[in-house]
Amino acid sequence: MKRVGKPVFFIVFAVILLLTYTSVFGVYSENGDLTITHIKGINDIRWGIDIKGGVEAVFAPADGVDATEEQMQSVKSIIDLRLVNQNVTDYELYPDYTNDRITVRFPWKSDEENYDPGEAIKELASTAQLVFRGGTSADGEELLTGKDVKSASARYMQANGSSPAQYIINLEFNDEGKQKFAEATTKYLKQQISIWMDETMISAPTVNEAITGGSAVISSDSNPFTAESATELANKINAGALPFSLKIESYGTISPSLGTYALEAMGYAAIAALCFIFLFMCIMYRLPGFVAFIALMGQLSLSIMAVSGYFTVFPSFTMTIPGIAGMILSIGMGVDANIITAERIKDELWTGKTLDGCINNGTKGSLSAIIDGNITIIIVAVILILVFGPANIFSALFGVSTTGLIYAFGYTLLVGVISNFIMGVWASRTMLRSVSGLKFLRNKRLYGGKKKS
Amino acid sequence: MRQKFHINFVKNSKIYFCISIVLMLAALVVNIFFIPTRVDIQFTGGTIIKYSYSGNLKEKQISDVAQKATKDTITFTFAENLASSDSNSHLVSLQFMGNKAISVDEQDTVTDALTKAFPKNTFKVEQSTVVDASKGANFFFKCLAAVILAAVLIIAYIGIRFKKIGGISAGVMAIVALVHDLIIVYFTFAVFNMSLNDNFIAVVLMVLGYSVNDTIVIYDRIRENRRKMGPKASTADVTNASINQCFPRTICTSITTLAAIGSVLVVSLIYNIDSIISFALPMMIGLVSGCYSSICIAAPLWVMWKNHSDKKKAEKNKKEKEAKDEKKSNKKKAKKAEAKASKKSADKAKETAETEVEVEAETEVDAEPETDESEETSAAQGDDETETDETDAD
Repeated sequence: MKRVGKPVFFIVFAVILLLTYTSVFGVYSENGDLTITHIKGINDIRWGIDIKGGVEAVFAPADGVDATEEQMQSVKSIIDLRLVNQNVTDYELYPDYTNDRITVRFPWKSDEENYDPGEAIKELASTAQLVFRGGTSADGEELLTGKDVKSASARYMQANGSSPAQYIINLEFNDEGKQKFAEATTKYLKQQISIWMDETMISAPTVNEAITGGSAVISSDSNPFTAESATELANKINAGALPFSLKIESYGTISPSLGTYALEAMGYAAIAALCFIFLFMCIMYRLPGFVAFIALMGQLSLSIMAVSGYFTVFPSFTMTIPGIAGMILSIGMGVDANIITAERIKDELWTGKTLDGCINNGTKGSLSAIIDGNITIIIVAVILILVFGPANIFSALFGVSTTGLIYAFGYTLLVGVISNFIMGVWASRTMLRSVSGLKFLRNKRLYGGKKKS
Repeated sequence: MRQKFHINFVKNSKIYFCISIVLMLAALVVNIFFIPTRVDIQFTGGTIIKYSYSGNLKEKQISDVAQKATKDTITFTFAENLASSDSNSHLVSLQFMGNKAISVDEQDTVTDALTKAFPKNTFKVEQSTVVDASKGANFFFKCLAAVILAAVLIIAYIGIRFKKIGGISAGVMAIVALVHDLIIVYFTFAVFNMSLNDNFIAVVLMVLGYSVNDTIVIYDRIRENRRKMGPKASTADVTNASINQCFPRTICTSITTLAAIGSVLVVSLIYNIDSIISFALPMMIGLVSGCYSSICIAAPLWVMWKNHSDKKKAEKNKKEKEAKDEKKSNKKKAKKAEAKASKKSADKAKETAETEVEVEAETEVDAEPETDESEETSAAQGDDETETDETDAD
């Protein structure tokens, strides 16, 4: 038998306790009034909208218009802009170019007592108001509107003669716009013209010359555009020229009070499940049962770490109620590995072999059964992740959609199985081998053997 | 091997089959005549708005006001609002009929009507779900594709895994058990009047994955015991012993798993959180069914199948033996003819040789299932060599 030193048990035990404590409570330090997070605990988990409340809405072109991909990108960039203007930063946007849908999901704004999510959704879907104004103030003379713009596009070229190539935005105007723009650029020559989306100024170029040809170029020498920023600005301008309005196809809102309440309930459920399993395992399997429970705590803390990110550099997974249910379920299934091993050790003990031999044989034969018990769960978990996740395998068929609430269920299930192999199989075996070396714990009855004959 | 339990699962199998069939039929009757299956608006499209309000109001008062504010017919569901610190807080759910996705403005009209009619009762939208029908259909097909994909993968896994342990028949029985569990899960949703939604899909997938495990464990043990107990032990005995040996593990694992999901269920019942109840309850019943079907359906059914096919085989063997006795003389001739053909020089008439070879091939195929075939053949060949004279005489 592979000998495992006696202190190993205590080391593994201490490590698991440490992991459990830090993954649940996190590690913080205070620097004056600032709290600095070193290790993320449960409180740092990013909760889904079913827990902290939130809004989800699906927008589509009204009247069944078949929008192009560029137009949908414009829609996306304007919703982006509006969300930021509403002070919503923690949002998710899923454009679905196959079905011309845009799904947005954002949490309830915690600082607003009487937040009206319906109003917020309506604001997001309202028709974009693009205005060119003289000067840079919001009440400057209205020169052109979105209706006058034919298209805007980002290009990479030399803006004027000798300067190096850079990203620029090319503007095309329709006939009416050409006329108006010519007049505007003549009037505001060597002055600034600002471009406004709704109430936000998105650009304020200076007119270098009167433009009468119906196409203009926005470039910046002092603060050059990147490919990204140029495309973004072009998209925003295009949004003002969209030939269709947006309709709210589907939407959902959940108030934070319902969600927090559900979270509290799930917390109690998790504690109840852990208590029951602790008692059950200790009564049924005695010492191996106790060891199994320690390993189970380790498994749970690994799962929590995989959700919260643990280290501050890793982002937190978005956790939903089904996700928590999956975590609790994997606690219940997790002890299976220990039960298989403990049953085998019991069987071996009844044949009258030595304790070491029994533990050795019991652990050796059970790995294939443990793998068997987990492989179909892995298949199912992976399918749940792939189908309900953000990058799902059916995107081509059914279009991109939000991550369903069930996505988290698949994730925690998979994470549970993996951490089960680390803790429930490896760590618990190491601990059992080590602890069986302690003299006062060598009574076979502690392992489920019969009374000393 | 230590065996704590001595339950004759195979002998009692008829009882188990009856229990399953009666349960399913009862559920089917309930489903058809009393509680029709509800499909969630996630799939069909539609509108549900949930308001919380404080104070005591007659249900009729609320429904009248809300109904007047819209042309669509509304169904109302009332409940206590346990989430609120206010002990006198209630919830009312409004479901708009006809799977119509109402607009934000229409929703506002209803909300305004309620707040105006009951200004003191602080009506507040707690949750609103509005799903467009096309989006619902899209989501439904996506879920369906997920279930089909999972089923295909699980069946493929069963195919690979059971190649080693009991063959196709055992694999088929494992699938029968799976179908049994899925039917039970479906009826749980139907009978408890929970609408089919994404929770249903999650439970179906989970049960698909969980149910197969127990079945595999049992068949694995059957294979092991078949080796240990020898060919004389009957299939029923081997199966019974196997199930009983697996029993402690199956039960203990089920208990811990059920305790976990059970505590979720109990807490969500206490807190009255529908979305979790419709996840935990079917999951729990599905897991019980998965465990039950492996032990009480798949394994006994497999024994029946095995006995049946063994009997058939025995009959076939008998028949074949008779047929073989009859053919024996023919076969000898053919064998000898073949030997002759090979011995003859190349210039022998080609036609005769070909027909003779054909005859030989046929007899060979017929004789294949026989266990003592090789002996038989070598004996015949021995004949060929020694009794060339006789062939010539023929």
